[in-house]
Amino acid sequence: MGLLSILRKLKSQPEKEIRILLLGLDNAGKTTILKKLAAEDVAHITPTQGFNIKSVQSEGFKLNVWDIGGQRKIRPYWRNYFDHTDVLIYVIDSADQKRLEETGYELAELLADEKLAEVPLLIFANKQDLLHASSAAEIAQGLSLHMIRDRPWQIQACSAIVGEGIKDGIEWVSANVKKK
Amino acid sequence: MIAKCSSKMFLLLTQNFKYYLSCLYYYIHPAVKWFLRRTTGLCELQRICYGAPEGAPRNFSVERSLLQSRSKEIQAAVAYLNRTSKERQFKGNKLEFALQYIVETVLVVKKINALAHPKFPILLRQSVEVVWGYNQLEQEIVCLAGTHFDSSNKDHEAKLMELWSLLKPDAPLRSRVTKQWQEIGFQGTDPKTDFRGMGVLGLENLLYFASKYNSSAKQVLAHSHHPQFGYAFAIVGINLTSMAYHLMTEKFAKTHMYNVCSKLPSIDSFHLLYCYLFVEFDKFWIQARPKDIMEFSHIRENFETKIRKILSSNQRAAFKVQVSNDLSI
Repeated sequence: MGLLSILRKLKSQPEKEIRILLLGLDNAGKTTILKKLAAEDVAHITPTQGFNIKSVQSEGFKLNVWDIGGQRKIRPYWRNYFDHTDVLIYVIDSADQKRLEETGYELAELLADEKLAEVPLLIFANKQDLLHASSAAEIAQGLSLHMIRDRPWQIQACSAIVGEGIKDGIEWVSANVKKK
Repeated sequence: MIAKCSSKMFLLLTQNFKYYLSCLYYYIHPAVKWFLRRTTGLCELQRICYGAPEGAPRNFSVERSLLQSRSKEIQAAVAYLNRTSKERQFKGNKLEFALQYIVETVLVVKKINALAHPKFPILLRQSVEVVWGYNQLEQEIVCLAGTHFDSSNKDHEAKLMELWSLLKPDAPLRSRVTKQWQEIGFQGTDPKTDFRGMGVLGLENLLYFASKYNSSAKQVLAHSHHPQFGYAFAIVGINLTSMAYHLMTEKFAKTHMYNVCSKLPSIDSFHLLYCYLFVEFDKFWIQARPKDIMEFSHIRENFETKIRKILSSNQRAAFKVQVSNDLSI
């Protein structure tokens, strides 16, 4: 590596930082999405106790992604991370039809919180690789997403483990970050 | 900016320096070995076996010496050891054969008279058994972590039920799917999804801890219910399985295993390392006096850094499960 290229690399480029909050029930796939974004191995992910945070470069943005545990006992702590959130990503296990109501309830709570007012919402309908997964459209209907009118929102089908759909979701995020 | 740049240059230089040093070593080492062999009348492996203290210092040196050997015969014997341990066939008759193969090859190649050196074959054998046994154990761990927990598998289910009755002997489960699982720190009403990532290995680890160190496990479980310093016992347990798994696959656990095992390391050796980690993490967590569970990630990271530092800086590191009297919170 020549000295010039080292110097060029060291030259700091001002980047826009985006704070992203990754929420959803336990076992939805939040940490897998986080690791996939950071291009890390997703083979051995264990349930999140507390939270994980990673900074990822994407499309000229620096994404600071906060992945908070989804276990019921941890959900009360979600609020502590709401401040200055630019985008909310809500992850749903599309194959867990039994808990669709529960996940809908938690999402409604989030949307009603004034700290998250007007924050763009991306919903990942995850685990599309599983045979009995509901489609994004079915989930959108089940959760009555069309009722959301106070913010830009999008539902994106994906399979974090396979790596499909994540990039499309992040493109939507970059395009819909609130202009500061 | 200049400081940043010069530090980068410095890094490049030191990296190159290390490279030159290893080149030098590559060419000088055989000459040193030849000189020592002439003056002491012993080959490198003999000097290691007689001179290095038992445990990790000797096992690491034997491993390095065998892997660096330039003798075609020894390389072939080492390749056989690698293959048998990787295929997890390093047991029974094959183990016996592999050990004889390497020992005899060394005796012939290095022209060692076994009658004049009766202790050498025994010491060499022992080191080879532990070193390649580690490789085999690593394969076994990877396999167990890759085996998904399957609720239609009777064996898996029986183990899960046993875990419950060991930790909660006085409170029978009301049904298979129940909120009760949260009392021992699973996330929801069915533990099966929590085993993702570490597979059956997570369950086996928990079960070993709960059966071999039942009172310690119950004590740790009681700590996990503390109003401020509480945590999810089973979930933290599965996170610690992941920590132990990576210590194994990233070879940090070698120091420990090479010190505590005098024979073939077994899955129990891994379980014991896990139990040590669990008991120690519990103490570490309480001593850190966390504000709430959201401090878990960084406290876990500090704990792991501490463990890795011990394993990489102290060649005599050997962890022993500390069964203590109740630690008052």
